[in-house]
Amino acid sequence: MRRLHLAAMTLVLAAPSAAAQSMRPFSTYRQWHGETRIDARLDYAAGGLRLAAGRPSELYRMDVLYDGDRYLPVSDYDAARGGVALGLHASGQRGLRVVSKGRLRQTAAVTFSPKSDLSLDVTLGAVDGDLELGGLRLTDLALEAGASRATVRFSRPNATRCRSATLSAGAAELSVLGLGNSRCDRIAFEGGVGRVTLDFGGTWTSSSSVEVKMALGEVALRLPRQVGVRITLDKFLATFEPVGLVRRGGSYLSPGYDQAARHLDIHVTTAVGGVTVEWLSGER
Amino acid sequence: MPTRRILAALTLGALSVPSAAHAGTRIDPTGSRAVDLVHGFWTLVSEVRGSPDAGDGAQEPHPTPQALAPAPPSEPPVSLDDLSKPITMESRLRAALRPRKGGARVTVPGGTARLGDFSIGSNESVTGHLLVVQGTADVYGKLLGNLVTVEGDVVLHPGGVVSGDILTFGGEVRDEGGEIGGEVRTFRSSSVLRALVRTEPAAPSAVATVFRRVAGVVGVFLTLGALGFGLVMFGRPNLEVVSDTISHSFARSFATGLLGQLLLLPTFGMLVVGLILSVIGIVLLPFAVVVYVLLVIIAAVGGYLAVAHAMGETYTRRRLALGALIGSPNSYRYLIVGLGALAAFWMAWSIFGWVPIAGDLIRGAAILVTWLLGTAGFGAALLSRAGIRPNFAGRLIPPEALTDEYLWATPQFGVTAAKRPGSRTPTRGL
Repeated sequence: MRRLHLAAMTLVLAAPSAAAQSMRPFSTYRQWHGETRIDARLDYAAGGLRLAAGRPSELYRMDVLYDGDRYLPVSDYDAARGGVALGLHASGQRGLRVVSKGRLRQTAAVTFSPKSDLSLDVTLGAVDGDLELGGLRLTDLALEAGASRATVRFSRPNATRCRSATLSAGAAELSVLGLGNSRCDRIAFEGGVGRVTLDFGGTWTSSSSVEVKMALGEVALRLPRQVGVRITLDKFLATFEPVGLVRRGGSYLSPGYDQAARHLDIHVTTAVGGVTVEWLSGER
Repeated sequence: MPTRRILAALTLGALSVPSAAHAGTRIDPTGSRAVDLVHGFWTLVSEVRGSPDAGDGAQEPHPTPQALAPAPPSEPPVSLDDLSKPITMESRLRAALRPRKGGARVTVPGGTARLGDFSIGSNESVTGHLLVVQGTADVYGKLLGNLVTVEGDVVLHPGGVVSGDILTFGGEVRDEGGEIGGEVRTFRSSSVLRALVRTEPAAPSAVATVFRRVAGVVGVFLTLGALGFGLVMFGRPNLEVVSDTISHSFARSFATGLLGQLLLLPTFGMLVVGLILSVIGIVLLPFAVVVYVLLVIIAAVGGYLAVAHAMGETYTRRRLALGALIGSPNSYRYLIVGLGALAAFWMAWSIFGWVPIAGDLIRGAAILVTWLLGTAGFGAALLSRAGIRPNFAGRLIPPEALTDEYLWATPQFGVTAAKRPGSRTPTRGL
């Protein structure tokens, strides 16, 4: 009986270390030396990802726990153009392993300095991502999500004017929250299959135009009341419920659109699925 | 009793370690609090999930500080110019620092290599790259180049400067107020120096190989035996029908099995496409895929067990016909005998597989025989619809009709039998 206990204990205690053998912790960062701008490319193949504003003293930082048998960490700063490539790439190693998938879960925390203008280009594979872009100095955003579930937040106003935010998703579930804080002049979303939530809450300081293209799926628009909203629709087999909007010509307008100081013009193109409108709480 | 409680507590503790590591991944990244959380999470992950090297390897006493001798000219140098590909650098260092007579030797072009702790004084300025192996690099002064440590930390003291990149394998970078011109990359675990303490793994001996293979074969066939016993216990009629189909229609079974193997993927494709096209069937697609795969596995394994059953039955009946006294000639026995015969091929490979050429031939023969019999079994399972349809099982009348009363009252041979109205009708071919 004692031997049995001992064997069971050995197995239990050995299990975590066995899984840990292929999981490697890797960190990379660069001190901030007065850089005014950084072009960051984040290519993350699989796992959990958190992105946020970081310490002002660090231009960028990536802490990642990755599967050393299957992936390679990428960290390459190009001083000449002020660009950095971060992320995890598949190493090309395949094969069958008898290990619980949960124990090989990769995680990454990426931060950027809130003191430098940031042009961010993110490519996500099979990722569970939470990207908090509030508090950064975001000038451009390009996000491409494969089979991911991602939430992009602007919990705080963007510290600088953003030229454009281009988001695309394959078969993904994407939520973009607080777009009013993004201060982006132009927002474009292109989706294949899935569900996308575009929340236009936040503090609007300028007008913006939004282009939404969705092939098959559901588009949920959460609209603010303090800006004039105009929605134009190009749909095939999709449903649309213009709750709280008034039809004028081929557009749907929010009441008082003409008098509003700032405008939000949304053009939606969708084939199959539905477009829903929801007014943000406290906005109406 | 207390021992049990201690064991239970230890087990719970061990099981909670990975979950504790994961629990730290959820952050609310807003402001400095978020940053602290990120770093807190990272510290937790590194401490808990790091490989053994991260836990204790770095704490080993460092060797006496000394310069590492340059490698012979025949060996490639390790350039520290570009540290942007750390995994490549790691493999280069592993090769350079492999165990050899006279200790580790490495050449760093445009730089120096050190073993043990190394310090750059506050008034010092070192030009060129620096490699420190199994030691801590304390930087008080200036290093004009890149810095790489293997199983050692980098401590950048106030006023210390490293103009280039820093890369650590099995260590960490402690920035206490210095300046780093380049990028910092840290692997808290590393296998670079494992080669120094571990010799090349020797090729397993023939005895060990034989033992490992025999154990594998025994394990596989014991598993098949357990499955077979379950099959006999809960589905003997079906097993016997499939087994009889193999015995009486081997060629037909083999041909069916071969055709079935060829059509497996097309059928699967048609199933998937058909379900997708039917729109409603999309919902059923995941279940259909799982069911299809399960059915194929059941047909293949069940067919193989039926082959074993058929072989065992044939052998046992022949021995009985020769007058041998056999205790209990039943399906369990047939299965054991058949599996034993099938295992014999693989056992032969296990024992003689290490012999050059002959070993490969034996293995090839074992694979071929297993495939032939497996294909026949798979085909028999298809022909008999998993033992439901005995058309090819050589049973002229249903077994349930072969009662004592039937056999006693019904003339089986001669004129009477031939003239009997509604004489027995073969079921073959129906």
